[in-house]
Amino acid sequence: MSATARTAPAGNIYDLGYRHYEGKRHGRWYAVWSLYVEGMRGVWGFGRPMTAKAAPFILTGLYALPALIQLAFSSIISQSIATGEASARDIATYSDYFAAASFFMVLFLVAQAPELVCRDQRYHVLPLYFTRALGRADYAFARLAALTTAVFMALMVPMIALFIGDILMKPDTLKAIGDEWPRALPSIPASALGALSLSSIALALSSFSPRRAYAAVGLVAYFLLMGIVPDVIFQVGRHAGWDWADKLMTLNPTGAISAAADWFSGAPLVTTGRDGGLPATLGADAYVLAVVVSIVVFTAVLLFRYRRMPA
Amino acid sequence: MALIETSGLTKHYGPVKALDKLDLSVEPGIIGLVGANGAGKSTLIKILLGILTPTSGTATILGMDSVRETRAIRQVVGYMPEHDCLPPDVGATDFVTHMARISGLPRTAARERTAEVLRHVGLYEERYRQIGGYSTGMKQRVKLAQALVHDPKVLLLDEPTNGLDPAGRDEMLDLIKRTGTDFGITVVVASHLLGEIEQVGTYLVAIDAGRLLSAAPITTYTARTPVLAVEVEEGSDRLAASLTGRGFKARLDGDCVLVAMEDERLYDAIRDTVADLALPLIRIQQERGRLEDLFRDGAPSIGAPSIDGPAEGSVQ
Repeated sequence: MSATARTAPAGNIYDLGYRHYEGKRHGRWYAVWSLYVEGMRGVWGFGRPMTAKAAPFILTGLYALPALIQLAFSSIISQSIATGEASARDIATYSDYFAAASFFMVLFLVAQAPELVCRDQRYHVLPLYFTRALGRADYAFARLAALTTAVFMALMVPMIALFIGDILMKPDTLKAIGDEWPRALPSIPASALGALSLSSIALALSSFSPRRAYAAVGLVAYFLLMGIVPDVIFQVGRHAGWDWADKLMTLNPTGAISAAADWFSGAPLVTTGRDGGLPATLGADAYVLAVVVSIVVFTAVLLFRYRRMPA
Repeated sequence: MALIETSGLTKHYGPVKALDKLDLSVEPGIIGLVGANGAGKSTLIKILLGILTPTSGTATILGMDSVRETRAIRQVVGYMPEHDCLPPDVGATDFVTHMARISGLPRTAARERTAEVLRHVGLYEERYRQIGGYSTGMKQRVKLAQALVHDPKVLLLDEPTNGLDPAGRDEMLDLIKRTGTDFGITVVVASHLLGEIEQVGTYLVAIDAGRLLSAAPITTYTARTPVLAVEVEEGSDRLAASLTGRGFKARLDGDCVLVAMEDERLYDAIRDTVADLALPLIRIQQERGRLEDLFRDGAPSIGAPSIDGPAEGSVQ
């Protein structure tokens, strides 16, 4: 410990002495954890201006809105079901919720994934990380973990709202918790898988542009095309007799995730009906496989991108 | 132990040779790394940090190999890049604390060190404001603070005075000098401005086109040289001719005549010549070496400015 006190010779720089740091120094995993925490704060806009909090919170709110409305009117809904005015099939369930509201979740990713990776590239923060204990893969994994956690949290908000709503619809609350619990539980692994899948896609694509706007456009384009193109080919293929076209439907990330949610909950897939829907030839396990493959592929793309990134 | 040692260090970017068989051995201190833009300064620093892999050759810093012991090196090295590296939408305190944690400091220690280092670089109330609103000088200070926050043994500063006005430049140089001398932190300053290195450095490493031009303590460059400058108000050409006629090596340099001090009779001869020619004499002074002479003519010569060389260049 050396402490030197002297008056500053120049300008407004006052030297009140410098002490060397002799305390504990953590290693690589602490650095990864710190980057993960910073990423989580960044996604939700904590430690940033209020405007940075607007997008994630509003979009999470919009995504959860149908579930929150159902929660707010749960007593009325339960009466309508009791009197037979409404069918239990009309209300949102855990496994079909994502399919209905996924638009807002995609918007959440479009808004927040570039925030995590484009910012560090655009303002050249990466060299500061890569000259510290963090490796390139460490950086990619910390970012992926942060976004996955954030998306998982956002996905779970309506699930919790649905759970509370379902309980409130029942006359006996304690018994209802016991009854509902097994039905609600599969939404946790389904949300986790969905969050990882969406995050890996969004980060891998965003990492190719330092400009947030370009990354956002790229993400919108990817999700839109993957939602439309496989469906069009599949529908044409049904008439043209292309039996391979059904497999293309697993390429739609949101479609595959909602089908995977059905696999977790054991609910039947809504297969080809009057206005399209999923191909009857594929089981839910095909979509689960597709989601897992997509996670592996996009994580590899992300790692590849950071391995090649000049620092 | 040598601070930096390189042997046969070579780095190619495609056909471009950024470093070409660089052999170097430098002791701790405040080391100025000088070279024109593109001479290979940044490349050398990046190799030392382990973010670039050399094409061939080895580099060690504090005895640790830049390729094999990268993580150990990064624990004890602080790096201030040449370019902007600060996100605009966070405060300096938040950013530097975050960087301290990435360097492995626990949460509380990171906060304390951040406060201390920001005070040291001269950022006070504004440290809570967003970095986007800072002046260039303040941004440079934040960049220095993030390099210092984990109390490194060696600081690698790449063009730390980039974009600063003269006052800001002097403040930054003063800060670097105090960091080096008072805190016992070895500082490597890369710069394309010799004047800056002359101001702060104790040791100078000059590289040009990826090759080592020279490496020696600053004092050896600026020591007195065996050349006498004689300044007269007019008639310097006649003085030079007359001195040459008396058998001295004299050369015209603006209004000055530079004479090689090879003979003890030189002072007397100058006195007599000036008196004979009735010239208004201003001064007779022994010349000091100038760092610029290093890069003059592409011919490195440590210390003595050449009597026979062309006479451009002036002391900053």
